[in-house]
Amino acid sequence: MTQTAVRMRTFVQALNEALDLAMERDPHVYLIGEDIGEMGGDFGVTRGLWAKYGEARVRDTPLSEAAIIGTAVGSAMMGFRPVAEIMFADFLGECYDQLVNNAAKMHYMFDGQFKAPIVVRTACGGGFGGGPHHSQSVEGWFLNVPGLVIVAPSTPADAKGLLLASIENDNPILFLEHKALYRIKGEVPEGYYTTPLRKAAVVREGKDVTIVAAMKMVHEALAAAAELEQEGVSAEVIDLRTIRPYDAETVVGSVRKTGRAVVVNEAPKIGGLASELSALIGEECFYDLKAPVVRVAGLDAPIPFSLALEKIILPDKEKVIEGVRSVMK
Amino acid sequence: MALDIETLVDLYRDMWLIRAFEFGLEREFKKGNVPGMLHTGVGQEATQAALAAHLKATDAFFPDHRCHGINALAEEKHQGDGERIMAELFGRATGVCSGKGGSLHSANPKVGNFGDNAVEGSYMATVLGVALAFQMRGQPNVACCIIGDGTVGRGEFHESLNMAAIWKLPVFYACVNNGYAISTPVGKAHASADIVDLARGYGFPCEQVDGNDIEAAYEAVQKAVEHIRAGQGPYFLEFKTWRWQGIFSGEFRPPEEVRYWKEERDPIKLARQKILERGSLSAADLDRIEAEVKAQIEEWIEFAKASPPPDPAKATADVYVGW
Repeated sequence: MTQTAVRMRTFVQALNEALDLAMERDPHVYLIGEDIGEMGGDFGVTRGLWAKYGEARVRDTPLSEAAIIGTAVGSAMMGFRPVAEIMFADFLGECYDQLVNNAAKMHYMFDGQFKAPIVVRTACGGGFGGGPHHSQSVEGWFLNVPGLVIVAPSTPADAKGLLLASIENDNPILFLEHKALYRIKGEVPEGYYTTPLRKAAVVREGKDVTIVAAMKMVHEALAAAAELEQEGVSAEVIDLRTIRPYDAETVVGSVRKTGRAVVVNEAPKIGGLASELSALIGEECFYDLKAPVVRVAGLDAPIPFSLALEKIILPDKEKVIEGVRSVMK
Repeated sequence: MALDIETLVDLYRDMWLIRAFEFGLEREFKKGNVPGMLHTGVGQEATQAALAAHLKATDAFFPDHRCHGINALAEEKHQGDGERIMAELFGRATGVCSGKGGSLHSANPKVGNFGDNAVEGSYMATVLGVALAFQMRGQPNVACCIIGDGTVGRGEFHESLNMAAIWKLPVFYACVNNGYAISTPVGKAHASADIVDLARGYGFPCEQVDGNDIEAAYEAVQKAVEHIRAGQGPYFLEFKTWRWQGIFSGEFRPPEEVRYWKEERDPIKLARQKILERGSLSAADLDRIEAEVKAQIEEWIEFAKASPPPDPAKATADVYVGW
C-alpha cells in the first residue's frame, strides 16, 4: 500500500465529503432540511452540494420539522435514501412522533414489509452559550426507542466513515453532531469508506480504569487521561460511536480488564446514557469491580445561557478527573 | 351525471361488504374474540367504496382510523381476497402484518396500503415523501392520505398542506368529516365545521361532497384522482358523513340526529333506492348481493378464528433491518 500524505480536514468538511460521495454514488440519496440549499446549512455541512446536485436533491424546506422527517420517511418507504438535517437537536421535539412512532416502528409493526432508511443529522451539545433551546444533548430522549439507531462520532475521520455507513444502512438513524466538534481538525482518508456501526473504539489503552464517552466527552476524557497519567493512573478511553444499539462487548471487556469504570455523558444523569452504561456494567461486571461505577454527567437542570452557569452544569475534563480519582481511592 | 348501473351495483356490493365486515367484527369483539379497541366505519361506507374504486395497486394510500373497509376492499381488488385483513384484526399469523399491526396498523404494499399510523396526523407528513417519490420518478400515481375531521387539529395538517402546495406534490387529501372526534363535535373543535374552509388557503383545489351519496362521492374522487394523475398537484376533498358507532360507553348524540342519519341518510339505503329506481334490478336481486357478501364475511371470520397466533419468534423479529 502506498503511503499518502496526511490529509487534515475539519469535522464539517468530513461530513460534507461524505454527503458528496454518497450523492455521487447513489441517485436515491437526497438532502432535505432548513437552509441547506444555497446557504449550505447553518453550520456549512451541505455547502456546495446545492450548486452541484440541484434543488431537487438538496431540498430547502419551511420550518416544518414534522414534514421534513415525514417526507424523509415516506420517500424512504419508496426506496429513496434521504438525509435530513434538523438544524438543532433541540428541535427534534417537533418531529419526535415521526422518529419514534413512525420511522422506528415501521419495519416491526408492518411485519418487515416496509423499511425507513433515513439519516437525520442534527447539531447537538452545549458549551457555547446557546441557551436552553440550542444546547441540549438529546440521546437520552431516544435511548428508550427500539428500532432507532443513534450514531455519535467524535472525530472527523469517524464523522465521514460513520455518516457513509449510516446512509448505506437500512435502519432509521439519528446522527448526532456535537457543535463543539464542527471546527476541530483531524486526519481524514480520501475517497469512499465506511466505519462500522455498533462498534465502539478503544481510543486510548489503559489498565487501571475504563472511561466510556461519546462525542465531545471523548475529548474531555482523553484530556483527563493524559493528566491522570502524570498521577500514575493508566486510563483506558472508549469512544462509543454508536449509542444505540451500543457495543456492550467492548465496554464490558474493558471494565473486566481494568476493574473500574467512569461513564461520561453531557446529558443529565437521570435516565440517560451514563445511567444505562452504569447499569450494564453493574449487571455484567459486578464481581470484577474494585469500586462502584461513577457517572460523570450533566447536572439535573436545563442548560442556562450564561457561560459561567453553563460550565457548572456540563461535565468537563476536571469533572472526569475527579470521577476517576474517586474510583481510584 | 348518473353512474352506469354496473358500477353502481358494484359499489352497492362494496358498501355492503364494508358494513357486513364491521358488524361481523363488532359481534366478535363483543364476544371477546377480537383484542384491543374497535373503531368501525359503519355509516361511512360510501366514502371508502368510492376511494377504493379509484385507487390502483400502484398508488399509495394511508388509511384512517376507521379503515377496515377500504383495507379489505383493496385486498380483494388487488390480491383477490380480503380475509387477511380480518385475520390481522384477530391478531393471527395469517394477517397482513402477521398480527403485529392490528386494526390501526394494517399494511400491504402490494395493494398500495401504506398502513395507518394510530397517532392522528402523523401520516399527513409521511404521505409527502411517498408523493415526492412519485414526483421524482415521474410516475402518474396518487399518494392518498385519508384523514378524519379530528386529524385536522394536528399541526401536521398545516405542515403537510403547505409543503404539498409549494412542491406541487401528487397528494390526495381525502377528509372524512363524520361530525365528531370521539365525542367532540367538529364545529366546536375547529374554526369551521366545514374542513374544506380550512384547506382553501393553500391554493390548490378544495372540494366538498356529500359522503353518503355514493354517486356523488364516486365522481368527486374521480375528479380528484384525474387532477393528480395529470400532474396538477395536490387536491383536497371533504366527505360530509356521519359515523354510526357512538363512543365506548354508548350513544351520546341527540336521538333526532341519530334517527336522521340512520334512517334518512344511510348511504346503503340511498344507493338501494337509486338502483331500484333505475328498474333493471329487483329488490330480490339486491337482497341476494347482500346475502352473498354477508356469507363471504362469515368465511373470513372463520378463517381468522381458525388461524394460529403468530410464531413467538415474531415478538422480537424485525426490530432492526438486518440486525
